[in-house]
Amino acid sequence: MPPVGLSLDEREDLRASARTLLGRSCSLERVREVIGTQPGFDADLWAQMVGLGWTSIHVDERHGGAGCRYLDLAVIVHELGRALVPSPFLASAVLATGALAAGDDQDFCAPWLAALADGSSIGSVAFAAADGSYELDRLTTTWGSSGEEIVINGTSGFVLDADVADFLVVAARGVDDDPAVVLVDTTAADLRRERVPTVDQTRRIFTVAFDSVTVPSGHLLCQPGPAAAKLLDRVLAIGVVATAGDAAGVAERSLELTTAYARDRMQFGKPIGSFQAVKHHCANMAMNVEASRAASTAAAAALDGDPAGWTTSASIAASYVGPACSEVCALAMRVHGGIGFTWEHDTHFLMKRAKLDEVLFGRPSWHRRRLADAVFPWLVTA
Amino acid sequence: MIAEELARGDVPRNALFHVAVFNVAPTLFHSATPEQRQRFLPGIRGGEVWCQGFSEPNAGSDLASLQTRAVRDGDRYIVYGQKVWTSWAREADWCMLLVRTDPSASKHKGISCLMVDMHTPGVEVRPIKQAWGPADFNEVFFDDVVVPVENRIGAEHEGWGVAQGTLAAERAVAILEMIERLKYHGMEAAIREAATWRLDRGEIVVDDSAVREVLAQHYAEVHVIRQVLNQMIDAIIRGLDVGGTASMIKVLYSELLVRIMQTVTDLQGVAGQVDVGVLACAGWETGFWMNDYIHSFGWLIGGGTNEIQRNVIAERTLGLPR
Repeated sequence: MPPVGLSLDEREDLRASARTLLGRSCSLERVREVIGTQPGFDADLWAQMVGLGWTSIHVDERHGGAGCRYLDLAVIVHELGRALVPSPFLASAVLATGALAAGDDQDFCAPWLAALADGSSIGSVAFAAADGSYELDRLTTTWGSSGEEIVINGTSGFVLDADVADFLVVAARGVDDDPAVVLVDTTAADLRRERVPTVDQTRRIFTVAFDSVTVPSGHLLCQPGPAAAKLLDRVLAIGVVATAGDAAGVAERSLELTTAYARDRMQFGKPIGSFQAVKHHCANMAMNVEASRAASTAAAAALDGDPAGWTTSASIAASYVGPACSEVCALAMRVHGGIGFTWEHDTHFLMKRAKLDEVLFGRPSWHRRRLADAVFPWLVTA
Repeated sequence: MIAEELARGDVPRNALFHVAVFNVAPTLFHSATPEQRQRFLPGIRGGEVWCQGFSEPNAGSDLASLQTRAVRDGDRYIVYGQKVWTSWAREADWCMLLVRTDPSASKHKGISCLMVDMHTPGVEVRPIKQAWGPADFNEVFFDDVVVPVENRIGAEHEGWGVAQGTLAAERAVAILEMIERLKYHGMEAAIREAATWRLDRGEIVVDDSAVREVLAQHYAEVHVIRQVLNQMIDAIIRGLDVGGTASMIKVLYSELLVRIMQTVTDLQGVAGQVDVGVLACAGWETGFWMNDYIHSFGWLIGGGTNEIQRNVIAERTLGLPR
């Protein structure tokens, strides 16, 4: 049974309440403060987000969640992007939750999911190779079995919020290249987490090294092999859709800052927004924002449907949204002129987050190739 | 749904009746009296051909500066002037015409909208040959043409508001069918055909990874525009103003169409320059890509140029100063 989820009005209410909270508690000045301190996000705000039930939106009711849809979760994702909120939401409430919900062994996953939903645990996923690739045969973390235990070695790259994560859902390659997905407690000895300084400081990224880390074989989320590959594909789609939604939020904020500036800033005795060259930049930004919002929402809605739909919609969103939103942020910088190029102004924070969103779950060019691989053979023989 | 099915079936485009169905009928619904609806709608359903007399030689993007005059004479108007780029005027039974009824008012104020019988004495139509060959559009001359006052849609001098509604409807709904056609018979046909073409070194076109990437991006964008349309239809159902979104869709669609045609004519190489003499409007545009390439530029201009649309988006949606 697909989840029922919120009505359109309820979704708009959720959006309004999220915007009010984040407007009050996470101004761009506040973001600047928070990213310069440890742990790099606002723990009080995170506690409020948990308290409001945001971390349990798309968790099944059996595990203490609200049992809503990705379409509903997408509202929060979008608002977090708009406000550039630094938080473990993407890592924990979207990716780790999404991975556990898709696991075949739901008896094993249930308590972990419940802990993510009620905020007693933070989770993250380690799915990328050290160089950021999501191609399974290029994974740089490996697994092998030793009796009742799984042994993990190697390095996973670009892991979000690993330092505050209580556990990681790890993708590893086996001796026969068969992938496995396994849950690893981060308190394990022989697991090292090293922060990677990134240009976007509103997200916190780590390299995780495994030196013969052993976990019980019961920690596999599903059978290694095709089932694991399917699960990884699902989590990749979730990541792609979430970063597209986040980027659409960032771009929307960027457009608003820019049009406000174009109305206020006077040159030649007029607001610069009255000049057609500036107007057309702003109109291009507005079209990219509108289209990115539509594509990310459609892809989020598709995640609630059948696999054929969500893989294509996710690829479409990944091909289009990231570059479109980065372009919005680039045009914002141009319209702002000199002031937009300063540290003091907020345009660069927006640009950096949009740019990371664009590539965090694979380059747009890779997603276009995946889309071509999925769609063209069917078209050519149709 | 009708648009989707027509497009999926590659039914020849309903171009001849486009103005009647997408422009005149919505205008009648939002601006006409019940008697006028009674009078004109059955004809539209019965297959009357309509044309739209908006643009003039000196009133293109600046449509409100139109000069075709209508002088009130009791219960009739006497119309004198010239329209241009009027599609299907030779075939048309009726024309939805914008005229100036009050030359002393400011330019947006003194305009009225008249329904003119194209068979009235004094109406003369001259074809204009288009860049890609045929002559779908025309110049139309009005030499003291008599139009009954009861044929005026909306109040006297308030035709500008009527025209705005017409253009918005044209932008939004008509493109739904076009984007569906682009999806099935433009993009998908291009990929199918390109699977039979070879590049200069003999590679099959769709096996080349750079080409695949470009085509996939076009494919994605076609779907994204469809998603924007769905978002707009939801907004219409919720009663929100979608004027700016309709302009966005027009710009996104037309510029993507041109980009796709550029890609396909590039991939087809010199073979695509052979004139295979196919007429437009037979299915997805023609299947003659070079012809479609030239034809695609019309979408950048028709229904209000993309430059004007960008002004509309900036001013209406974003609230930038005029």
